[in-house]
Amino acid sequence: MIALILRRGALSLVTLFLLASFIFFATEVLPGDALDVSLSADEIANMPAEVMARRKAELGLDRPILERYWGFLGGLLRFDLGRTIITRAPVGEIIAMPLRNSVALAGVTLLLALPVALAIAMAAAQAKGRAVDNAVSGAAIIGYSIPEFVTGLLLIAVFAVWWPLFPATITASTNDPLGVLLAAAPLAIATTIIGSVAYLGRILRVGLIEVMAADFVERLHLSGIPRWRIIWLHALPAAMIPGLSAAALYAASLVSGVVVVEMVFAYPGIGAELVRAVTRREVHVVQAIALAAAICVVLFNLLADLGIAALDPRTRR
Amino acid sequence: MSDLARRHLLGAGAAFLGALDASLAQAQQPSPRRGGALVYAQMSGNRRGGDASNSRHPYYMVDLITRSAYNTLAWVDEELKLQLELATRIAPADDTLKVWEVTIREGVRFHDGRMMTAGDVAASFELHRRRNFASAQIQRTEVVNPTTIRFHLDAGNSEFPFVLAEYDCVVMPANPDFERIGMEGIGTGPFRITSNDPQRRMTFERFEDYWRQGFPYLDRLEVVNREGQTEAALAGYRARQFDAMLNIDPRLIRQMEREPQTDLVAAASGDQAVIILPKHPGSAFNDARIRRALSAAIDREGLVRIVYGGTRWGWVGNDSHLAAADPMFVAPERPRDLALARRLLAEAGHPNGITLPTLYYAPQWPEMARYFQFIQESVREAGITLPIEERPNDGYQRFRMGELDVSRGNWHKFAYTAVGPRNPGISLFRMRPANNESGYWSGPAADRYMALYARAMLTAEAAARRAIYAEMQAILREEAPAILPAGRNNVLIKRNTVHNLRNHPQHWSIRWDDVYRSA
Repeated sequence: MIALILRRGALSLVTLFLLASFIFFATEVLPGDALDVSLSADEIANMPAEVMARRKAELGLDRPILERYWGFLGGLLRFDLGRTIITRAPVGEIIAMPLRNSVALAGVTLLLALPVALAIAMAAAQAKGRAVDNAVSGAAIIGYSIPEFVTGLLLIAVFAVWWPLFPATITASTNDPLGVLLAAAPLAIATTIIGSVAYLGRILRVGLIEVMAADFVERLHLSGIPRWRIIWLHALPAAMIPGLSAAALYAASLVSGVVVVEMVFAYPGIGAELVRAVTRREVHVVQAIALAAAICVVLFNLLADLGIAALDPRTRR
Repeated sequence: MSDLARRHLLGAGAAFLGALDASLAQAQQPSPRRGGALVYAQMSGNRRGGDASNSRHPYYMVDLITRSAYNTLAWVDEELKLQLELATRIAPADDTLKVWEVTIREGVRFHDGRMMTAGDVAASFELHRRRNFASAQIQRTEVVNPTTIRFHLDAGNSEFPFVLAEYDCVVMPANPDFERIGMEGIGTGPFRITSNDPQRRMTFERFEDYWRQGFPYLDRLEVVNREGQTEAALAGYRARQFDAMLNIDPRLIRQMEREPQTDLVAAASGDQAVIILPKHPGSAFNDARIRRALSAAIDREGLVRIVYGGTRWGWVGNDSHLAAADPMFVAPERPRDLALARRLLAEAGHPNGITLPTLYYAPQWPEMARYFQFIQESVREAGITLPIEERPNDGYQRFRMGELDVSRGNWHKFAYTAVGPRNPGISLFRMRPANNESGYWSGPAADRYMALYARAMLTAEAAARRAIYAEMQAILREEAPAILPAGRNNVLIKRNTVHNLRNHPQHWSIRWDDVYRSA
């Protein structure tokens, strides 16, 4: 298992290196550098070449591409993500708290969504083809199909405006303790959970149904083992294997992909920060957020791989 | 200055001070209820807040309503009349109007418990005169005694007391490093800052040692920035998270008029848009005919009708910084003249129309996208193609002004900025040649304009200044150094359980001292 951890860890590092390189080249080398995108068309058209050259030098854009690339990688190793173009503020400081908030939102969502999705999936799998299964499957499809902003607005209308139980918009500060922030965000959490439960529930249901129809489950039945033991001790771990990979990818997307939810509820997370950075043409902030999202994907995949290895010894080879 | 003029000035000053005393006495009437919290959402983007890393500083507060935590020497009331605040007397020291003497209120404490002195005022203005455009005329300050300070100006200014009411010009504790002044967020205002999240939120608590005894009524005050998030703010209001929303989108007015338990409070006036016409080498706007053609082509009345829903909520501008509600404002005779626009374009060598450079704007006010889309369509009828592009509020000021350094390639842009109504002296001074808002206008007309301005500033009688101001506005209509097509009347909504929350043409001058809430 240790060898597997080392192997997967090394592979993750290589993946991260490649992703960081891709992000650098995609944002720095393709047409339109950090200066170009922060200038207006008129400015670019009118600016004399020597002035443009001087401003590029101020941002270090006049250095050879490889030199900038090594500088970028060196900065990453020192946790130095550069500075913003407009305010010259450290990018790390700008994204730190929003990233913390998004990770917290994703974490709470997963903690709450996984058991619910599991319970629903088990209920549906056990009643395959019957009314309960049809109802659960139908609800999951609806829940997964409705865009999150629609779910969010519906929840606001019902639970904040008509029946004022929860806040409609989050007024907590970016740096508030997580307890304060999450307590102000029940509808935002509920919105992400609805989508998550629908998605994970469907995947787990399919996995459970497949496992329950497998030969080894039938043999366990014939051996007289109680049904609850078969489900909890044998079928569920086997069904979790495909579910884990899906859950890991989903968790990563929750960190970086809840832009809509963050905008609807004014949640101070990394998605909202990304939107702000794009509108401000802050290339370095966009790079840093893309990198953070990539790290989340790699990290959650690594955790899923290790989880799968723990559940299925065959994968350790 | 003649004896007569001097007598007029002193007489006016005495009457002015009497009115101030009466007004303050009235303002200090006890209110029926003390306590509670008030949360309001701010809908307009503070163009400087976007660059802020410290929103405790009065220059960078989340919504510029600095009077929640700070005070100035004077205050402009809802009718744009001057009231004294931390000063008890403001008077010229001599006939030149170049030296003004201010007596400060005694017994005023800062939030850190220190007593305010004339030294604090002097230190604060050391910062302001370097940073605030209206205070730049202050050459130096002189502390006469612990309660008296003199302001020495670079030229006479009959309307100087209004400078002391500018929202930036708050009084803060002195600091040997004047760049550090204001960083701690310590003022003399009715509320003390308890937390701040730049661009997002600020919270305040009542300052028990506030100099206006018995005020403020509220225990806590909170402002939440919801610029560009009208729907979120509206949901928050309907969910009773917000007790008030400031500077709402005019399109919401009809809807909110039907909202239960809600009051719409309109100010007599409000901000207007300045379209800055840059006159750097090669710019089409070096030609006054093109500037005037653009000005004449805009359907200003249509703009007010479509964007603001009529003259109750908007007003037609006259290409000066004066608001229509100002008694000195001269309404344009023909706000739109398409024939003139086409003729001027033809004379300028564009008989088949002209394509202008891109006009940039930021959604500083919720309606700005519609505002410029309407202008784009209306000028098309005169053969003017006007590309427009929205930029984010964050960093917008730096973007459009180019850091004022042409040598670095930072040209100021053909762009919009918002300006609020002020006294005529400050408003008309904004079109000075050395200012970005005039597009660095120059030439004989600009010289004539500034000569008139200098004369007005040395004219103590308001009635005599009126004729000069009218002449200055005529020059602006003729020359169009910048275009100011139309403005808004600021609108706030509030619950009917919130009392004494008065709206203000200067949205930054709303006071929170007197606001209270019933059950």
